[in-house]
Amino acid sequence: MRHNFLDRYAGLDSPLHALEARTKLVGFLALILGVLWIPAGSNLIFFAYFLLTAVLMGISQIPLGYIVGRTLAILPFVVLAGLAAPWGDHFEGVRLVAIVLRSILSLLFLILLTSTTAFAELLRGLRKLGCPKILVLNLGFLYRYLFVLTEEVLRMRQARDCRRVGRAPALAEFKLLGAMLGTLLVRSFERAERMYQAMLSRGYDGDLRILAPRKFTWLDLGFLAGVTLFIVGVRP
Amino acid sequence: MHIPDGFLSNKMWLALDALSGASILYAARRLRLEASARIVPLMGVLSAFVFAAQLLNFPVLGGTSGHLVGGALLAILLGPLAGFLTMATVLIAQALFLQDGGLAALGANIFNIGAVTSFSGYGLFRLLAGSPPRERRLAWAGFVSGWASLVLSAVCCALELGLSRAIPLEVGLPAMAGYHAIIGFAEGGLTAGVLVFLVRVRPDLIKGTSDLRMGLADWAVALGFVALPVLVLILAGSSALPDPLERLLSSAGAMTEPRNDAGDLLSPDRYPEYLRAAAILVVGTALVYLVARLVQGRSRKS
Repeated sequence: MRHNFLDRYAGLDSPLHALEARTKLVGFLALILGVLWIPAGSNLIFFAYFLLTAVLMGISQIPLGYIVGRTLAILPFVVLAGLAAPWGDHFEGVRLVAIVLRSILSLLFLILLTSTTAFAELLRGLRKLGCPKILVLNLGFLYRYLFVLTEEVLRMRQARDCRRVGRAPALAEFKLLGAMLGTLLVRSFERAERMYQAMLSRGYDGDLRILAPRKFTWLDLGFLAGVTLFIVGVRP
Repeated sequence: MHIPDGFLSNKMWLALDALSGASILYAARRLRLEASARIVPLMGVLSAFVFAAQLLNFPVLGGTSGHLVGGALLAILLGPLAGFLTMATVLIAQALFLQDGGLAALGANIFNIGAVTSFSGYGLFRLLAGSPPRERRLAWAGFVSGWASLVLSAVCCALELGLSRAIPLEVGLPAMAGYHAIIGFAEGGLTAGVLVFLVRVRPDLIKGTSDLRMGLADWAVALGFVALPVLVLILAGSSALPDPLERLLSSAGAMTEPRNDAGDLLSPDRYPEYLRAAAILVVGTALVYLVARLVQGRSRKS
C-alpha cells in the first residue's frame, strides 16, 4: 500500500509549498469566504476569482488532472440540485449557476490548501490557531494509525476472500461483516491500550510538543497582503 | 452526504459552524475534566478505525455502495461526548485529506454526521437496551439506533439544503430520507452485528464505558441538538414553508440574492450569451493557468 497517498503533492517545490501552514489556512479560508459572498449574477467577480485560482494552480505545480478529478466530487450535489430545481417555489437559473460556481471555486481553494501542505504541518497550524488540543491530538493519531488499520482491513479482506467462494445470503453477509468490524474494533482497542502504555513510559503528560515549524517570512506576509488586496479589490 | 461549500446559505453555515464549534469545545472541556488520559489514544485509534472501516463496503441498489458511518456505534461504545469528538475528528480529516465536504460547510457536516448520529444513536440505544441488555435486545437496540441515526442525519442535511434554497425541500427531503432509509438497514445491521460480536468476545468493552455516561447537563445539551431540527421540521410543516420562517431565514441571506431577476433567463435567445460567457471563462482561465505554470517551471529550473 502506498503510504503517501494523502500527502502526495505536499513535497513539491513551489512558493505555495514554502508558505507557513497558518498563512495558508488563514489566506485560503478568507478566499473561500470571499467566494461565498459573491452575489449571484456578478460575472466579473466570478471571472476574477477563476483567474486567481488559475494563477495559484499554475504556481503550485500540482497536476491538472488530479485537481479536475477532485473537483468532480461535487457532481452528485450539482446533479441533485439541477434535477430538483424545477420543483422549487421560485426557480432562478442565475442562483443555481451561482451556487455551482461558488462551490467549484471554494473546492479549488480547498484543494490548493490541502495538497500544498503536509498534514503534520497543517496540524501544527491548526494548533497554533487555537484549535483544541484534544482535537489536534486525535487528528494526529488518526493520521499515524490510518495506514496501520487500513492494512489490517486489507489483510482481513484477503483472508475472507481466500476462504470462500461467491457471496453469502444477505443476513449471513452482515453477520460476517459485523464480526470483521468487531474484530477490527477489538484490535483497535487493544492497540490503543498498548499505545497508552508506551506513551506513558515515554513521559506523556497530556501535552503536545512540536518540532521547529516553518518560519513566518516575507513570503507569507506578501501572500496575506495579496489575498487581502484581492478580496478587497474585487468585492461586489 | 458531505455538503460541499456553496450549497448552504451564508447564514445557515455560519450558524452551524458556531453550533459545532461550541459543542466541540464543550465536549473537549468535559472530557478533559472527567476522563482519564486513557481516552486520548483510544479516540485517536477509533477515528482511524472509522476511516479504515469505511473500506469494507457493500453493494447497495444500482451499483452504488454503502459503508458504515459509525456515529451511533462509537457513541454507544465511548459515550456520546467522546463519540461525537471522534466523529468530528473523522469529518475534519475527511475535509482536509479527501476534500470530502467543504471548509465553511464543515460545521454543518460535523452537525449532521457527527452530532446528530452520536446523540440520537446514543439516546435511542439507552432507551431501548435494558441494562444489562440481553443479546437479542442488544441487537435490536443497536439496529434501531443505527438506522434512525442515519435517517435523522439525512433529514437534517435535506432540511439545511432546503432552507438554504439550494435543493428544494419537496424533492430533497424524500430523496435523501428515502435513500438513507434503505442504506440505514446496513448501518443498523452492522451496528448490531458489531455489538453482538463484542458482547460475545469482549463484554467488558461494552460495560467499560459506563464511567463516561452523560450527566443531566449533557442531556440538556443533547436534547437541544435533537430538539432544534425537530422544531424546525414541525414549524416548517411537511411540504411547504410558511412565510414567516422563510422570510426570517432568507432575510439575512438577502445580500446574496440577485437584485432583480426579472425576465426569462431560460429563453433560447439567451443561449449564445451564456455560451460566450462560458467560453471566455474557460479560455481565459486556461491561458492564465498555462502562463503561471510555465513561468513557475522556468524559474524553478534556473
